[in-house]
Amino acid sequence: MTAWILTLVIASPLVGAALLLLPRAENRRVIERIALWGSLVTLLLTVVAAVLFFRHPTDGGFALKLAASWLGGTGEGADLREAGNPLAGAGIDVAYRVGVDGISIWLLLLTAFLTPLALASSFTAIRERVREYYILLLLLEVGMLGVFCSLDLLLFYVFFEFTLVPLYFLIGIWGGPEKRKAANKFFIYTLGGSVLTFAGVLFTAYYAYAHGAGKFTLNIEELMRLARGGAFPPNVQWWVFLALAAGFAIKVPLFPLHTWLPLAHTEAPTAGSVILAGVLLKLGTYGFCRLSIPLLPDASRAWAPALAVLAIAGIIYTALAAWVQRDVKKLIAYSSVSHLGFCILGLFSMKLAGMNGAVMYMVNHGLSTGALFLVVGCVYERYHTREFDKLGGLARRMPVAAFFLIVFTLSSIGLPGLNGFVGEFLVLLGAATSNQVTDGLAAGPLGFSYAAAAAVGIILGAVYMLYMCGRVLFGPLVEPAHTPDTSHGLSHDLTRREVGILAPIALACLLLGVYPKPMLSSIQSAAQANVFQPIEVRQASAGALGDAAPFVAMGSEIGIPMLAVAQQEGPPATVAAGADDLEWVTSARFVPQEHDSP
Amino acid sequence: MTFSSLGHLLPELILLTGACALLIVGLTRFAKTPSALSLLAGGMIAGALVATLLIGIPAEVGDLPGLALSPLTFYVRWLTLTVGLLLILLNWRQAEPSEQGEYLALILFAMLGILLTASASDVVVLFFAIELVSVPTYILVALSRRDVRASEAAVKYFFLGALSAALLAYGLGFLYGASGTTSLASMAGVWASRLQPASIAGADMLVLIGFLLAFAGLSFKIAAVPFHAYVADVYEGAASPVTALLGFVPKLAGFIALIRIMETVHWQLPASVMWLIWIVAALTMTVGNVLGLLQTNVKRMLAYSSIAHSGYLLLALLVGPALGAGPMSNGVTALLFYIAVYGVMNLGAFAALSSFQRGDRTLETLDDLSGLARSQPWPALALSVCAFSLMGFPPTAGFLGKLYIFSGAFSLAPDHAFRMPLIVLAVIGVINSAIGAAYYLRIVGACWMNRPREEVASVPGMTERLGLNIAGLAMLVLFVAPGPLLTKARIGAASQARSRSSSIATAVDPGPRGSATSAETSLAAHEP
Repeated sequence: MTAWILTLVIASPLVGAALLLLPRAENRRVIERIALWGSLVTLLLTVVAAVLFFRHPTDGGFALKLAASWLGGTGEGADLREAGNPLAGAGIDVAYRVGVDGISIWLLLLTAFLTPLALASSFTAIRERVREYYILLLLLEVGMLGVFCSLDLLLFYVFFEFTLVPLYFLIGIWGGPEKRKAANKFFIYTLGGSVLTFAGVLFTAYYAYAHGAGKFTLNIEELMRLARGGAFPPNVQWWVFLALAAGFAIKVPLFPLHTWLPLAHTEAPTAGSVILAGVLLKLGTYGFCRLSIPLLPDASRAWAPALAVLAIAGIIYTALAAWVQRDVKKLIAYSSVSHLGFCILGLFSMKLAGMNGAVMYMVNHGLSTGALFLVVGCVYERYHTREFDKLGGLARRMPVAAFFLIVFTLSSIGLPGLNGFVGEFLVLLGAATSNQVTDGLAAGPLGFSYAAAAAVGIILGAVYMLYMCGRVLFGPLVEPAHTPDTSHGLSHDLTRREVGILAPIALACLLLGVYPKPMLSSIQSAAQANVFQPIEVRQASAGALGDAAPFVAMGSEIGIPMLAVAQQEGPPATVAAGADDLEWVTSARFVPQEHDSP
Repeated sequence: MTFSSLGHLLPELILLTGACALLIVGLTRFAKTPSALSLLAGGMIAGALVATLLIGIPAEVGDLPGLALSPLTFYVRWLTLTVGLLLILLNWRQAEPSEQGEYLALILFAMLGILLTASASDVVVLFFAIELVSVPTYILVALSRRDVRASEAAVKYFFLGALSAALLAYGLGFLYGASGTTSLASMAGVWASRLQPASIAGADMLVLIGFLLAFAGLSFKIAAVPFHAYVADVYEGAASPVTALLGFVPKLAGFIALIRIMETVHWQLPASVMWLIWIVAALTMTVGNVLGLLQTNVKRMLAYSSIAHSGYLLLALLVGPALGAGPMSNGVTALLFYIAVYGVMNLGAFAALSSFQRGDRTLETLDDLSGLARSQPWPALALSVCAFSLMGFPPTAGFLGKLYIFSGAFSLAPDHAFRMPLIVLAVIGVINSAIGAAYYLRIVGACWMNRPREEVASVPGMTERLGLNIAGLAMLVLFVAPGPLLTKARIGAASQARSRSSSIATAVDPGPRGSATSAETSLAAHEP
């Protein structure tokens, strides 16, 4: 059971999609119900997987693993020997291989959590070709779950690419007026980047093979082990990083490669936007943190300043762009780009704090931005417009919707007490302390100036989000003629179904804001085991232990056997002094609601 | 030649008998029974396939003049006959009833030509085998429909084909002149013993000229730039079922012949020739994909797609049976695997076009495909799977095909002189896959996203749709379980790896039994 649970998780939406073929007529009620129950079963299985995962502590390593032969294996070698092929002895290790660690389990949960909500949000919005719509959404879920579970590079790439197909159809069939253009641009743009990723992946595997791996392997764990042993020299890493980043940066999207995103978001149906912002963009950041940083540590350091500058440029530029949008959905789309800049900044701070923050930010952004798209979708269904000029004072007409819009806006701009704050703070902390030797990790490539520049983006974020809320919710009531549209069981304010969709997300935002500790500790142990190289702990421990010390204290506080090396070697006095200096950090990090801002 | 050795040629003999029988039965009253001739043709191909599988990987037979059986023969037999069955499904009732006999016989003759290409051990036999593939295809284009465009296409195709045949014959003549023998194995032996190291680098200009002329002649067959100009017109002119055949049969024959010729020079070409093929491959991919973007006629689009795919296959040919670091695939394995996948997915696309009609003609333009998914969701799905496969997109076999081709390019040993250019070519290839995706997407988009103008009508009979469904399903199944096909491709390519390793070990026995056996002895000396 433990080994098969992830496969069940990945396959369960597929079963749901197959069941959707059964109803003879296009009976909307039946189809919607099958789809919803299918995705709820997936959610249940994912929760079971999470429980199994957390019940067996793994010290950050991968758990719930399963491997099955796919391309190559021992069987074919025998045939080749018969045919007299001199290559017969070579082992090929490309398999269906799944597993999760403390980083991917949260993204898995996020995916399984958002999909039923996205499905349920479509019940009134999608009225034609219903069956295909839900099948595609479930297929999309398969792709996303697969990416987060993959422990084989080829499998990762296959799922990574496969997510394009369902979303291409979702945008192209059920999208807005420019749907074809948006769908094509989305597809070609992302494919253009990811084929280079593909070349990079192949090159990595061949390089490892030619230089002593002993067999041709695309096993991510195996490649990580090789990378730790220094199998990839820096000049090779430099190119491979560029190739991998081509795909991931477009997916994130990193400024200036973001132009496909606002178009895709504006044209996509609500559920498509929710999934796109909520999960799909994370495939890019997840790729960076699962592959680029662990496999190519030297190149990641070398490229980090460049990526951070692009991220900050993107944070500020897209925040300004969001400010001038006249369309609520477009504004949120631009805010997505801005927010994901923070993720990149956190990842490439090369610090545990930054990594923690970035992964948490991924989940937070998925929840709050996904929810914002849902609320905007609710408004759009009633008013058939999303333009500021045609909407105003809606708080009077739909107070419940207004409540949720404000909650998610606050979560999105990082109000302490809600989830956004924790991630944002840790990202900035990671970026600011990056050039110091903290966490026992060598000094990173970023520094305080990066954090300061990014902080401008936080202010801008608050400005445009609150401006949007003010325009839409308050002031005199402005509604287009002949609206609100209350056909198809809609009421003026949110229906019970819509409240049922939004309330769980709001609850999750609150929970993660108040008590992020379980999430952060599992992310941290996974980051230590699977993202950063422990060899650096040894390198760093010799020199500047004083800076590392506060984090030693912090590590033991959250119960992780962290930095054992540093603790043993360090003089106790330094530890105490360092702990005093940064005590506010330790407390702010885990009891965020007591502090207003960094 | 003894009677018993003829048993090794059973598949070829069955095809020949079948073709002759079709010619005769086509004149009798039998031909008026619907489907009788098609059943006969399909049965003959199935019989040849069974014979192939019974024989398995053929043993060396000394006394077959002009023919040498090898693992490659087995792969080509198996592949040609399997895809041949699908082609018969597509062409079930394409010809006029009175011409059905000749029509199907020609298809069988063309397939026989491919089989002989794979086992020819003599340049004369090789040339005749290639022509046996080409000549029937000229006629098939003309017979495929009563339309002036078909006649025009056939004439174009014939004249350019004749020119290419002349080039090929001229090139093979030079090769004969340079070696003093017409036997491919002896040629390889002569050059291996005369040149140290075994390479035609700096060797006789005669060999170079011969090779280049033969390459040019075969470039017509595989539709490589700059010999690609006829493809779009011919594809557009011929009926879709024949176009499906044109995308596979000449291409397979051309590539197999190229492999056979590369074998004689031990896959060792001078850098200048490597660069020449490099440029041809890069241009073929790029020109095919870029011109494909401009088309609105699906058949022309697929014609340019066919050109682009030749570019990818040329990349695999350049990699060759490299004994570098590549356990995943070498160039020849990748080529053999991908050409099989290409044949089926390309056939699926044309099967979709010929399964439906608007008015009295089958589908041709993007506009014709509009809204196909509304009225025909399953065929539209199968067509979309084939389009995604042509794009090289998971989860389809086309993705694995591209994976093997591109990973082959990375597989050369780190000290190989041509390693970096091949990696660059692979990167050009993956970028081209992204460019190509743009026009394949238009096919998918037209099916699923356009509003239908009017309902499409199914053509009478189900065989085309059966072919379409088999092709679509095969693309998905081969993605999940590529093992059987891949193993066959590996075995087919293994003889090439041995012929090259034998030249490296320089222990070459230019006996009449062919390079495959001579390599057996040198295999022990080979260090991986």
